[in-house]
Amino acid sequence: MAHALSADGWQAERRRAFLLGLSPSLAVLLLITLVPAAALVIASFTPLSLTDPAATFRFDDPLVNYRQLLHDDRFLHSIAVQLKLSASSVLLQLGVGLGLALLLNGKSRLLDGARTAFLIPMVLPPIVVALIWKIMYTPDVSPIHRALEAAGWPLRSLIADPDTALWAISLADTWQWFPFTMLMVLASLQMIPDEPIEAATLEGANRWQLLRHIVFPYIRPVLVVCGLFRLIDSFKAFPLIYVLTNGGPGSVTEVTNYYGFIQAFNFSYWGYASAIATVLLAGVFALSWAVGKLGWSDHDKR
Amino acid sequence: MTHPSHPVPERRRLLQAAAALGAGALLPGLAAAQGGAKKFAGVTLNVSTFSAAYPKLLQQWLPEFEAATGAKVNFDAPSFPVYNQRADLELSTRGSAYDVVNVTFIYSSRWINSGWLTPLDDFIRNPNLTPADWDINDFLPGARAPETGRDGKLYGVPWTAEALLTASSRFDLVEKAGLAFPDTTDDLVKVLRAVNKKERVAGFVADNHYGWTFVPYLHAFGGDVFRKAPDDLFPTLDTPEAIAAGEYYANLLKEFGPDGAITYQPDQVTQALKLGRVNFTDAGQLHLAQLGDPATSKTIKTVKFGLVPKGPAGRFPGTAVHGLGIPAGSKNKEAAWAFIQWALSKQTTGRAVAAGYGSPARRSDIESAVFRDKQVINGSDLAKLSLESIELAAKTGHMKYRTVAVYPQVDQQLNKAIELIASGQLSAKQAFQQAQANTIAELKRAGARL
Repeated sequence: MAHALSADGWQAERRRAFLLGLSPSLAVLLLITLVPAAALVIASFTPLSLTDPAATFRFDDPLVNYRQLLHDDRFLHSIAVQLKLSASSVLLQLGVGLGLALLLNGKSRLLDGARTAFLIPMVLPPIVVALIWKIMYTPDVSPIHRALEAAGWPLRSLIADPDTALWAISLADTWQWFPFTMLMVLASLQMIPDEPIEAATLEGANRWQLLRHIVFPYIRPVLVVCGLFRLIDSFKAFPLIYVLTNGGPGSVTEVTNYYGFIQAFNFSYWGYASAIATVLLAGVFALSWAVGKLGWSDHDKR
Repeated sequence: MTHPSHPVPERRRLLQAAAALGAGALLPGLAAAQGGAKKFAGVTLNVSTFSAAYPKLLQQWLPEFEAATGAKVNFDAPSFPVYNQRADLELSTRGSAYDVVNVTFIYSSRWINSGWLTPLDDFIRNPNLTPADWDINDFLPGARAPETGRDGKLYGVPWTAEALLTASSRFDLVEKAGLAFPDTTDDLVKVLRAVNKKERVAGFVADNHYGWTFVPYLHAFGGDVFRKAPDDLFPTLDTPEAIAAGEYYANLLKEFGPDGAITYQPDQVTQALKLGRVNFTDAGQLHLAQLGDPATSKTIKTVKFGLVPKGPAGRFPGTAVHGLGIPAGSKNKEAAWAFIQWALSKQTTGRAVAAGYGSPARRSDIESAVFRDKQVINGSDLAKLSLESIELAAKTGHMKYRTVAVYPQVDQQLNKAIELIASGQLSAKQAFQQAQANTIAELKRAGARL
């Protein structure tokens, strides 16, 4: 008994010692991650504005920014735009990434080369991608527009037309990020054991049935993770919008993130912009939680 | 220490002495005052402007100023928005972090009239600090006006004065149609109708910063941004004149613009004109001067420049002026003045012009043969047009709208309004009524009394 007790005491001591050793790095980590976030939230409770230094840290009406957000049509509109852009670009990326991964899943030098080539957009700096698409979407210099015109199907500028501008951005975003889904799906495709597929083939299953009932359940968790990653990232859409449309024409491509940028950097309303960022943060958390729960629990049931 | 160490310091000393001598020649006032000793030895000056051609030249020549005065200079030149935010914050707290700042055009009224800058008149008048031939009156009156406070004192010495002008990259097409350079807004439409899409050249495009490129037309039609800036900031964007101007301008883009006209940024506009894809634009003189570059401009032989068109209410070219000033909180004001005096002495500005600097604010530079030679492009004298524009702006005072603190918010509303009309989302009336309502809301939010 005494022996057991001392062993327990030793264990507890060891845990304490570990914790003590870890605590400085934990403290630094917490400081690094939480302090800026806390600063953001605190700023969102003040009317902080560079043009009114007297209002820097006043907390007499902490919810003023949030109340104003509820009545700010431009903000509410930006959320709708954000949801449209996020949904369309994430779905497109998952579709294109999955399709290409299925096509490129095989062993040959040609496929190897193709896989590498398709990764290029993902490794380009976002601002370069934006410039590439600026060229693509400027009818004057765009190879696409010129080819279509030569073929007798002239295409009007997509980013200047309020009906197509958002979809044009969604397309450019998809071009940059489908390789991410492709890469992840390819990795998981290569982990699928051969036996179930062979067995099903012997049973006479066709390719669609193989995909639907054997391959897809294997790669679904990966697709969910990809979707989640891309969804979170899609809320940060900035370079494409900044370079291609500047939020226009009018405000058809003004997403919430971009609106926050305008409030902070064009109008100097840092408190208000912080409130926008805080709402965005909360929204992303909620969405990720919902998507994660949806995807994983479904998987766990199997 | 493998190389012989002895001759190097000697040569360096010689070079230093030569530099000091050269700079001394540039600083007659200082040289006289210091009587051989370095007047500001031990002083560290913090200078900040935004990054632009002139500050870059000054940064190159700094060692000469340092050698002559003994002061050490930290010269920081971040990008335009970053600089403005930093300076705005620093000035508003009356901090002493900067000794010399750029008085940014769009902030000038706010910075000057809030008492955040030091009046320079006493420095200029003092013969011990400023030599007589430095000549403040050589700076264009139109460039000094926005640097002058309501008290009539000068708070900044201008280093750049730029004007918005009209350009035609393929004026040969206009001549072929038997027409002259458009002088009025009606002429412009007449000319554009005649040349649009001739030889696959679109008629008109402008930088989609319409809060800058559209405003001369707003004024020309008799409209304005505010009732009477800077004293009465009630916006006047829903007046019939403003709506007519918006309709007119958006239509220029819609009817005569290249495909995607509302997405054009300044460099794209310059490029389109250089390649002869678009004929007309209204743009800043520094951008337009690039059309005279024989290496990259295909239209150098056909280009022509003119003033922005006259409308029913007159001609109101856009101008922008930036100057160097001393923050009220600076602890080294005399040394700061010595820096400004050096940076904008006739010798320094003349040297900058010789090095290719394109928008000086001294009349003697603008009228110099060196500058004129560079500014005459295919027979059009950009310098003369710009001078005329700045003088017009000084006379009418129509640029005051731009120097109020809330202009960035209104600027955005104008950008959007023109985009909304040109892309067919709203009528001119709807777009400008919306801009008016949004501007009033923004102004109230900014605490402006309407």
